[in-house]
Amino acid sequence: MRTSTFLNFLFLLIYKHKSKHIAISLISILIVFLISSVLFISSSIQKEVFNTLDAQSDFVVQRINSGKIVNTPNSWIDDFSDINGISNIQQRVYGQYYFESANKYFTIVGVDLFEESTNKDIKELLKILNIQEFMKKNSMIIGNGVEKILREFKYFEYYFFRLQNRDTRKVSIFKALPKETNIIANDLIIMDISLAKEILNIGEDQSTDIVLNVPNELEQSNIKIELILKHLDIRVIQKSDIKKAYENLYNYKGGIFLILFIIVMITFVLILFQRYTMISSSDKKEIGILRAVGWSIKDVIKLKISETFIIAFISFLIGVIIAYMYVFFLNAPILSNIFLGFGNLENSVSFSPNIDFSTIVTLFLFFIIPFISAVLIPTWKIAVIEPSESMK
Amino acid sequence: MIKVNNLNKVFNQNTKKEFYALKNINIKIQTSSCVILKGVSGSGKSTLLSILGALSKPSSGDIIINDDSIAKLPDLHSSAFRSSNLGFIFQSYNLFNELNIEENISIPLVPLGFTQKEINKKVDVALKLANIEHKKDETVSNLSGGEKQRTAIARALVNNPDIILCDEPTANLDNENSLKFIEVMRKLKKLNKTIIIATHDPIFDKLDFVDNTINIKDGKIT
Repeated sequence: MRTSTFLNFLFLLIYKHKSKHIAISLISILIVFLISSVLFISSSIQKEVFNTLDAQSDFVVQRINSGKIVNTPNSWIDDFSDINGISNIQQRVYGQYYFESANKYFTIVGVDLFEESTNKDIKELLKILNIQEFMKKNSMIIGNGVEKILREFKYFEYYFFRLQNRDTRKVSIFKALPKETNIIANDLIIMDISLAKEILNIGEDQSTDIVLNVPNELEQSNIKIELILKHLDIRVIQKSDIKKAYENLYNYKGGIFLILFIIVMITFVLILFQRYTMISSSDKKEIGILRAVGWSIKDVIKLKISETFIIAFISFLIGVIIAYMYVFFLNAPILSNIFLGFGNLENSVSFSPNIDFSTIVTLFLFFIIPFISAVLIPTWKIAVIEPSESMK
Repeated sequence: MIKVNNLNKVFNQNTKKEFYALKNINIKIQTSSCVILKGVSGSGKSTLLSILGALSKPSSGDIIINDDSIAKLPDLHSSAFRSSNLGFIFQSYNLFNELNIEENISIPLVPLGFTQKEINKKVDVALKLANIEHKKDETVSNLSGGEKQRTAIARALVNNPDIILCDEPTANLDNENSLKFIEVMRKLKKLNKTIIIATHDPIFDKLDFVDNTINIKDGKIT
């Protein structure tokens, strides 16, 4: 069989039978769209989160008192400095601030702007900043979610934070962070470390926790033990543990969707199989005519497989393209909330493209193989019937 | 030469519903002759025609066409045999209604490895033979019964087969179109085609180009 004439006939048949394929194509597009969207969202969030994590220090040290996390004394920094292999030890100041009017929590992060080892991500966020201007008055930089809430309550230029001693502290709104940072910084308020300590009621010689780096990865487990031995009330968290926890979280959410996808796919294959098993008299007759005019069983099956492959491939392509636009241009309305949640501040994120092509290829194979099989078996059953029977 | 030896076709064999559609058929059809298989509905003439056309297999017996036995050919060979030796014209035309005439006629040529140019050339010849070239771009669903019939004829002729098998070709045609069909058959006879027509239409009685009429009743030649 000459490929060009076969293809001419194949595309002619698909075009002329387009109304017959529409229902199956639409269902296929929907399935591929949903699963691709989930994959795009989850890989984009994972990339963002892991990028953020990569910029974090290797260890976080916290103080535990009666099972609760309490402020860490800064004197611990000196204690840890004795351990060989540790670098960039610094205090971190952060905590949640309850915004009563909206019943929401903001996350305040205190930043030592003159500290060399300040987190790379924070430094990146603060590139937009004129530090002198920022320091002149008590200022803060806020995430988009925070900005939205404050604006709702008419705080356009400043906000009065309530302090522990029932006093208030006026802090100017210096700038809002760009929308691209929303995945990690939607509810964030960044301010000078001393101001943050005052608002969060953390003593001058205390911090929320202490972070440190151990550049030699082989030493990390030893240093973890040394850190633990320094104080009885210490809790040491390693970056790799946080990474694993995030991986599990997103794999878990992605896994739920994969199970749903498998269920939907099985249902779809059953529908397809049913459709071709209960093949309409016109489909049956069509196969009979082809056989009667000299097409072999092999030719008929080749035609039907090619027809199915093209329909499945086009549906897959359309589904993936729509999913790409939905996630990366429209920022996945509805579906993004399932992944990010908006228990606290409603988040309007923008996802940056991060496509794992091996996942797309796997998805394609998982989609196309059952699709073709569901059509092939009933088609073969009809093709082997005597043409005089199938044309009746 | 087509030879049919001791041919039987049994449905539901070895069951209570066992039914002999054809019983011990023995016939010989000369090359380039025109033969009418005549009989009432259900007599077995269409079954015989479909066995002659390798569209179904006999239960026993043999069919020899040009020294080749076709009764037990495997699919690949029977398809190749059909496509190079036979042209079939069906009572209900069996066309693809969504395709136009030209596209329908080209279908038998698709698996044979011709280029599109060669296919177009062969289709043009068949269209002229069947007198339907003026409607070649028309979709089949828009055609009259007579035009569909001529399309089916053109499709049967497109491979230039030696044997033309027609199953009740005039059953759905008016008198005028039936006569047109007969004229096309006359033309094909002149082109030395072997023509076998299964029919119960009296219009085929006493036609000058018919060489033989075989009467079938209850699956037997009478």
